Amino acid sequence: MPADKIYEDLSIVVRRATAVFHVLAVIVFLILAYYWKVQILDFKKFWTLAEANRTRTLILTAPRGLILDRNGVILADNKASFKVSLVREHLKSLRPKFPAISGVLGISEEELRDRIERYKSLPPYEPVIIKDGLEPEDIAPIEARRHEYPELEVAAEPKRSYPFKTLAAHVLGYLQERTQEEIRDNPARNLNVGDMGGGAGIERQYDEELTGRDGSVLEIVDSLGRGQEQISEQEATQGKDIRLTIDARLQKKAEDLLDGKEGVIVAFDPSTGEILALASDPTFDPNRFISRFSPEEWVHFINDPSSPLENRAVRGLYAPGSIFKLIMALGGLDAGYVTEQTTVFCSGAIMIYGTPRSCWFPAGHGSMNLPNAIKNSCNIYFYTLGRQMGIEPIDAAAAKLGLGELTGIDLPGEKEGLIPSPEWKQKTMKESWFPGETISVSIGQGQLQVTPLQIALMTAIIANRGVHPEPHLLLQTSAQAGRGRPDSSEAHAAEGVPPFKTSTFEAVIEGMWRSVNDHGTGQEARVEGMDVCGKTGSTQIVSKERAEMLAKAGKPIKTHSWFSGFAPRNSPRLVVTVLVEYGGGGGAVAAPLAGELFSLYRSLQGK
Amino acid sequence: MMIDRRLFREIDWTLAGLVLLISLLGVVFIYSSSHLLPSNYTLKQLFWIGISLVGLFLMTAVDYEFLVSYSIYLYILINAFLAGSLVFGRIVAGHKSWLSLGLMQFQPSEAAKVVMILVFARLFAGYKSPYLTSRSIAVPLVVGGIPLVLVILQPDLGTALTFVGVLGGGFILVGLRLRTILVFLALALVLGVGGWKFGLKDYQKKRLTTLVYPHQDPHGSGYQIMQSRIAIGSGGLTGKGFMKGSQSQLRFLPARHTDFIFSVIGEEFGFLGVFVLILLYLLMLARMFLSVGKARDRAGVYVVFMASMLIAFQFLINILMIIGLFPVTGVPLPFLSYGGSSLLSNFVACGLILNVKMRRFANV
Repeated sequence: MPADKIYEDLSIVVRRATAVFHVLAVIVFLILAYYWKVQILDFKKFWTLAEANRTRTLILTAPRGLILDRNGVILADNKASFKVSLVREHLKSLRPKFPAISGVLGISEEELRDRIERYKSLPPYEPVIIKDGLEPEDIAPIEARRHEYPELEVAAEPKRSYPFKTLAAHVLGYLQERTQEEIRDNPARNLNVGDMGGGAGIERQYDEELTGRDGSVLEIVDSLGRGQEQISEQEATQGKDIRLTIDARLQKKAEDLLDGKEGVIVAFDPSTGEILALASDPTFDPNRFISRFSPEEWVHFINDPSSPLENRAVRGLYAPGSIFKLIMALGGLDAGYVTEQTTVFCSGAIMIYGTPRSCWFPAGHGSMNLPNAIKNSCNIYFYTLGRQMGIEPIDAAAAKLGLGELTGIDLPGEKEGLIPSPEWKQKTMKESWFPGETISVSIGQGQLQVTPLQIALMTAIIANRGVHPEPHLLLQTSAQAGRGRPDSSEAHAAEGVPPFKTSTFEAVIEGMWRSVNDHGTGQEARVEGMDVCGKTGSTQIVSKERAEMLAKAGKPIKTHSWFSGFAPRNSPRLVVTVLVEYGGGGGAVAAPLAGELFSLYRSLQGK
Repeated sequence: MMIDRRLFREIDWTLAGLVLLISLLGVVFIYSSSHLLPSNYTLKQLFWIGISLVGLFLMTAVDYEFLVSYSIYLYILINAFLAGSLVFGRIVAGHKSWLSLGLMQFQPSEAAKVVMILVFARLFAGYKSPYLTSRSIAVPLVVGGIPLVLVILQPDLGTALTFVGVLGGGFILVGLRLRTILVFLALALVLGVGGWKFGLKDYQKKRLTTLVYPHQDPHGSGYQIMQSRIAIGSGGLTGKGFMKGSQSQLRFLPARHTDFIFSVIGEEFGFLGVFVLILLYLLMLARMFLSVGKARDRAGVYVVFMASMLIAFQFLINILMIIGLFPVTGVPLPFLSYGGSSLLSNFVACGLILNVKMRRFANV
């Protein structure tokens, strides 16, 4: 083929090349179809994403509601402070800047890294707060170098402040940064990352009321998170104010009385259930928790063996000691085991179930009737009564006076204590009940566990001759202010039948009156002209064997000292319960503290 | 002048015009996506288009036959450059593929694309049987393998991929039996698994996994894909308007004037813009591929076909990549993306096609 010499036959390769192009064209049209899907069918989805990309919501943190005492004294306030946040777009290019940033803000690089690691899962346009609680003068050097650190964002925020520092710390509680879980699980509450929320006490109990509604600013940003222009702004609304039943003056006195001790003072109005003072020592300053960055403070407080963060009034569990004799007396009288005039002879010791039991007064009280047995806190009388009654009626009486169950106070984390019973022992210890244990319970020892607030409530029920008040701390919120008293405590108190006959109460109250006013164990609580009625208790907190060993070694055995009482005898207005851990005798240590509080109350009422 | 007037008239002005049109459209979008950046990318790109045009016409001046026969020397030279850049190259974006030559920075791997076309054309022109034999496979595999390995070592997976495209295209043209295809597939599988296990760097693996799960890594390589998809998808039918794309104007879209320029078009001009541009590309590619029939000899066919494949392959990978159907491998959109080396090599490849086409008569 001569033509072959000039042009070879290329038809196969040309055909193949053309075929390749056709395949390619088909692929291109398939790709085009995919672009159709993304741009036309999924347009809405991507458009929304693009909008979310370009806009950012700046949160304007709402101030929390104030917390006031019953007379309007501000216990928890807000003051202006500044926080610095880090915008994390392009985090990789940001990492080399960490040393400089930590230098400017005075935080450690490690802390900075931890902080960013913690919020890794947040979308990158959400800034992470890396420093807070700054004063205006701290902000100036940062603002001056803003151009070097465009990724830092400075914003004002209201900061909680407790002007009286430790005053009523356990009532007020403290703030904690909200966890991501809390924010996620409460979508309706509109919480935001970095918000501070109630961590304990009233701050926690009424967190929803105290928390305001955060405002927001919608602004257009670039990919570095730099604001370009504002689109809309919604102002923050402050949370509701809360007025407590606490009287700051009584509270202050209670805390001063406890200063340097470990213990509790509760004072409340038995007719309404309003708590006037609730002090727990050792205490803490909630101002120290306000920063989001106080890990050392936390570790310090949590590791402190004296647990200053615990509110002992509602979470401390103690044996009631001789105060329990009031319950014995009520139960015994009411069920007819004894009458007011039944006497028991106290020789200072007694053999029960083959075990010698002694009275705290070794010489013996002699012949005791019920009021005098309360007045002198005679062990022998109540051992005898306990042996007569057996455990069930004792437990029933304790339950009627609110032991073994929550008082229902509006504070988080309250404990219910324990009234030991044969069933309970069988269930938890797989052992049967020994009669000797009943004897221990008769004087408030053994497995009995109560909180100081339960003792206060029990005292109030006695003072009210059976009417059960509901102890509470909330007087009113600002939302209720115009509508009078929403929480009509009297109504609560009125419901239910008195657990014991009125005469029974009168007999026991007579004993309590004598204890304070007739040279009984509670005489240190006496206030001239106030008719204080009360009962002391000294709780043995070590086993008998251990106590004997200590005694041999000549070391003092310190008991928990209790006093719980009310005044005046008729139409009582104040219940005071005092517990001093390792204080010694209740009459010597706890009773005088209660006396001082009663007398301050009297002088305040007199004004 | 080496080129006479008759030849000048034979130049496919339609193709040259399409290429220039696409390049100039690119300048418009580069302006839109980079006008906020400190450097003037628009002017730079215009300057490179000028240089590339000169390159294109210079490429038509010498008979491709001459270039093909001397391609072996170019091949040796380019491999030396590639090896040199491995040792002396400046690291740009994690690659060593930039070689600093005085004032100009130059990417030898871009030039290698053109040289590969010429070398393969020379090799394949000798294969006259209708199908590739096992013996005829070995030589091009070795010839292509050397620069391929050098490019992979840069490491520049994108360019390596276009090499494979060009070589694969060549093989198709030579003729593949089913058996050969199966062997290649098996080989690819082995290389793929082996490469994943031992060869790929972590960032490269991440790009592959990101393709399947872009939401797992919204800060890293998944970020690019997600932002690009958001840009394209939010463009809708008609787009947000020139210079009004929030994704590109507010800088959410990374590499928006280079590899991701097509996303800007998708965002600002919508599906209509995408459609028109893809159609323009298809027109240009048709013009290129169908020039195969105008070649006077086998070498010419291969030059045209592989040059067309080079551009088509980059085009395909890029429009797949920016919408999240292909890993982010750093393949620019030919003629449209910002970048001098890529622009020049693609113009030169186009010049080769023009060269073959204008010399279609053997007796010239």
